[in-house]
Amino acid sequence: MKQEELKTLLYDEIAKCNRCGFCLAHCPIYTIMGREWATPRGKNALVRAIIEGKIGWTPEIEDTLFRCTGCRLCTQTCFPAVETNQGVLAGRACLADMHQYPKIVDRVVEALENNFNISDEPNEDRTLWMDFLKNVPEHMYQKEKAEVVYFVGCVAAFFPLVQKIPQAFVQVLDKSKVDFTILGGEEWCCGFPLIQMGMEEKMQKLVEHNQEKVKQVSAKTVVFACPSCFHTWKEKYNTNAELLHSTQYMERLINEKKIVFNNGFNKTVTYHDPCDLGRNSKVFDPPRNILNAIPGLKLVEMANNRQLCNCCGGGGDLEMIDPELSAAIAERKIQEIQDTGAEVVVTSCQQCIRTISGYARKKEIDLKVMDITEVVLEAMGS
Amino acid sequence: MDREKMVEELVKLVGKENVLSSETDLYLYGYDASLFRGKPDCIVLPGSTEEVSKIVKFAHEAGVHVVGRGSGTNLSGGTIPTQGGIVVHFSRMNRILEIDIENQRAVVEPGVFTLALKNALARYGYVYQPDPASEKVSTFGGNFGENSGGPHCLKYGVTTNHILGAEVVLYNGDVVHVGGKTLDNPGYDLTGVLVGSEGTLGIATKLILRIMPKPEAVKTMLAIYNTLEDAGKTVSAIIGDGIVPATLEMLDRLTIKAVEESIHAGFPLDAEAVLIIELDGLKDGMERLAERIMEICKKNNVREVKAAKTEAERMQLWAGRKGAFGAIARLRPNYLVCDGTVPRTKLPEVLTKVMEVGRKYDLSIANVFHAGDGNLHPLILFDERNEEELRKVHLAGSEIMKLCAEAGGTISGEHGIGTEKKKEMLFVFTPQDIGAMKKVKMAFDPEDIYNPGKVLPEIQE
Ligand SMILES: Cc1cc2nc3c(=O)[nH]c(=O)nc-3n(C[C@H](O)[C@H](O)[C@H](O)COP(=O)(O)OP(=O)(O)OC[C@H]3O[C@@H](n4cnc5c(N)ncnc54)[C@H](O)[C@@H]3O)c2cc1C
Ligand code: SF4
Ligand code: SF4
Repeated sequence: MKQEELKTLLYDEIAKCNRCGFCLAHCPIYTIMGREWATPRGKNALVRAIIEGKIGWTPEIEDTLFRCTGCRLCTQTCFPAVETNQGVLAGRACLADMHQYPKIVDRVVEALENNFNISDEPNEDRTLWMDFLKNVPEHMYQKEKAEVVYFVGCVAAFFPLVQKIPQAFVQVLDKSKVDFTILGGEEWCCGFPLIQMGMEEKMQKLVEHNQEKVKQVSAKTVVFACPSCFHTWKEKYNTNAELLHSTQYMERLINEKKIVFNNGFNKTVTYHDPCDLGRNSKVFDPPRNILNAIPGLKLVEMANNRQLCNCCGGGGDLEMIDPELSAAIAERKIQEIQDTGAEVVVTSCQQCIRTISGYARKKEIDLKVMDITEVVLEAMGS
Repeated sequence: MDREKMVEELVKLVGKENVLSSETDLYLYGYDASLFRGKPDCIVLPGSTEEVSKIVKFAHEAGVHVVGRGSGTNLSGGTIPTQGGIVVHFSRMNRILEIDIENQRAVVEPGVFTLALKNALARYGYVYQPDPASEKVSTFGGNFGENSGGPHCLKYGVTTNHILGAEVVLYNGDVVHVGGKTLDNPGYDLTGVLVGSEGTLGIATKLILRIMPKPEAVKTMLAIYNTLEDAGKTVSAIIGDGIVPATLEMLDRLTIKAVEESIHAGFPLDAEAVLIIELDGLKDGMERLAERIMEICKKNNVREVKAAKTEAERMQLWAGRKGAFGAIARLRPNYLVCDGTVPRTKLPEVLTKVMEVGRKYDLSIANVFHAGDGNLHPLILFDERNEEELRKVHLAGSEIMKLCAEAGGTISGEHGIGTEKKKEMLFVFTPQDIGAMKKVKMAFDPEDIYNPGKVLPEIQE
């Protein structure tokens, strides 16, 4: 993106920021870093200063703009609801145009161009998570036609710590007798990382490919266990298929009595709202309805929940860009989780799980983190 | 002193990561929530009193100015480094040091958010009373600097009534203690002098606060009016009747509209004014008091009085009030808050004149105020990108301040003087009065190290 475009697109939006500072108390970056550049107010001020030609693209601007989890808690708590994250992303797009960005960005872009996944591994390996699964049907969950496509997403497909999500979710779908398929090696990254890195224009190829594949399968519904894939599809894709997050879909299956809880789940749990699912896609109730429908399960809320839920620290590719900062945010999140006294924290996002349990493991904190698909599977029993 | 040398010295005191001096940082510490701009030479983030003391000592020896900063939410340019120097940002000094329930005291570092302490106290059933609308983000250092107030200050008094003592770093780096944990301390009341001094006399590094048990019962009512005048009269009548509610807040039509557009607080869009009246204290007798208030409202042509039935409803009303300034920002990108106080009985009359000023300059003005204290906050709406409009805003702002002064009131309820309202100080004080304040400044900071160019206007001596 060029600077003139930044002005046309965002000057009026950013000018709504009157520097009141109310967002400071909420922004996970500021409350850890404690310096003005980390605040949403500061980010707005910098983008504005650039638009007004008062400041150039300094290296610090790059640091600032690449330190935002996209949690949008600032917008949520800002009275004029300034879309700070939009300014941040547009700013990144300008930086991308000038080739000014963290090194890791090139690696991700390259991976997506060569292998269509963020792990830079052969794309056929997207199904390796099945190796650990018993009773996999012959078609390996890849059918030519199906009612439902389960879009797995790169992180859940490739990262061992969270492969438990597709492993659990296909079993849930199987047990509920859903006619579904995955795209296997034909699933390409949804493009979310490119938006985060300010290179949205590069995602078109991915979008078109995925749209086409869903069409070929004649699927009526695409289901995502990843909130960011879900959000990206909703915002950037053009398809006739219905787009649902796994929580919305499982809620439906429960209502249709296709999911039945034979086991229950006898634990106190708290629920963490992933930013891209909760605040950014406004899906708050389905996960709670699911949890409340499970016999034996007791749900307790964190001090900040739903619209005000604090980010885990893993949003906006922050974990890639500044792992230390991401970890510091996770540490605080864990404190908030522990304050509830819950035995398990349930969420519905592989990135949140990675950030939260990644930190807990490293610090040897005894914390059980589960994806909602796992909880549902366990509660279904046999 | 050149900047590089300064940074080098400061790095020795607080470490590299806690000194900021890039062009970007200097830009970012050049603003606050006001309309003013400045540019510091560098920014330091100290972690302890010792570090603050060393920084100030260094600044003093080098003849460099020092400006304290919390969250930079003040509306009067109080944190603008108008003459350069070092900005000391307290974000790292954000620990609650002590909560002493038995003696009803808390000790905090200056960077603690006001609401953070309140949240910590809630667990014990205790409160810290002052409640600026910005409490979720304002710091105790900032509250101390501005002597902040809020709706509940009608009954409980402003910040100065709740800060009993402080650890203060003087202009030369010396650390002293003023006040203490007791309500009445021997000697001069230096705490009283320092609270509200906007960082011009000393920098607080620890604050001793008074905390109180949460009132047994609370009752919150929303009174809805068809005219501003009736709402204003109700306020005078309630106080005149000898009742001191915990709050008596007023919002006018434009504010109501803005609030309802951003959050649904439940204010009726077709009302000319609403009052938020809250009672707190013992359960016993509260209903009777509420009835008396309703009677008064009725006598003054209230359209309807609604009582919050649940805590959630009550929070909703307060969310509307606390978000009023912010919500105004939905109407136009910027607003200027004129913070003035008039005798309560003059409220309706002054309000009419305020609206006339708006018409004269063709500016929209929204009103939201601590009516019980006669503290007005006319908000003038504009877009700071429009220079002509900005010019008119400043003229109108000054005219409104003059109105307050002429009505026998004063020019700042709680937002401070800062850079913004220096010249308006002369609307309410004589040069002799200002001269007396200058002597205090000279006594505390003879070399003008701290926050230069703030609060006191130039006078001929
Ligand atoms: C939307 C909005 C609503 C507001 N509502 C209210 C309200 O209802 N009531 C009210 O009173 N104010 C209100 N304010 C003004 C402001 O929030 C308060 O004055 C608040 O106390 C400032 O806190 P801060 O941490 O932002 O201080 P800053 O703005 O950072 O600093 C304020 C002053 O204190 C000085 N200072 C900071 N730290 C120290 C220290 N450690 N020692 C000595 N001096 C120090 C600074 O130099 C400066 O002069 C509002 C502001 C906004 C933007
Ligand atoms: S982004 Fe919103 S909350 Fe933050 S300073 Fe700007 S207007 Fe205030
Ligand atoms: S989106 Fe989240 S991380 Fe980014 S500026 Fe807003 S609050 Fe901070």
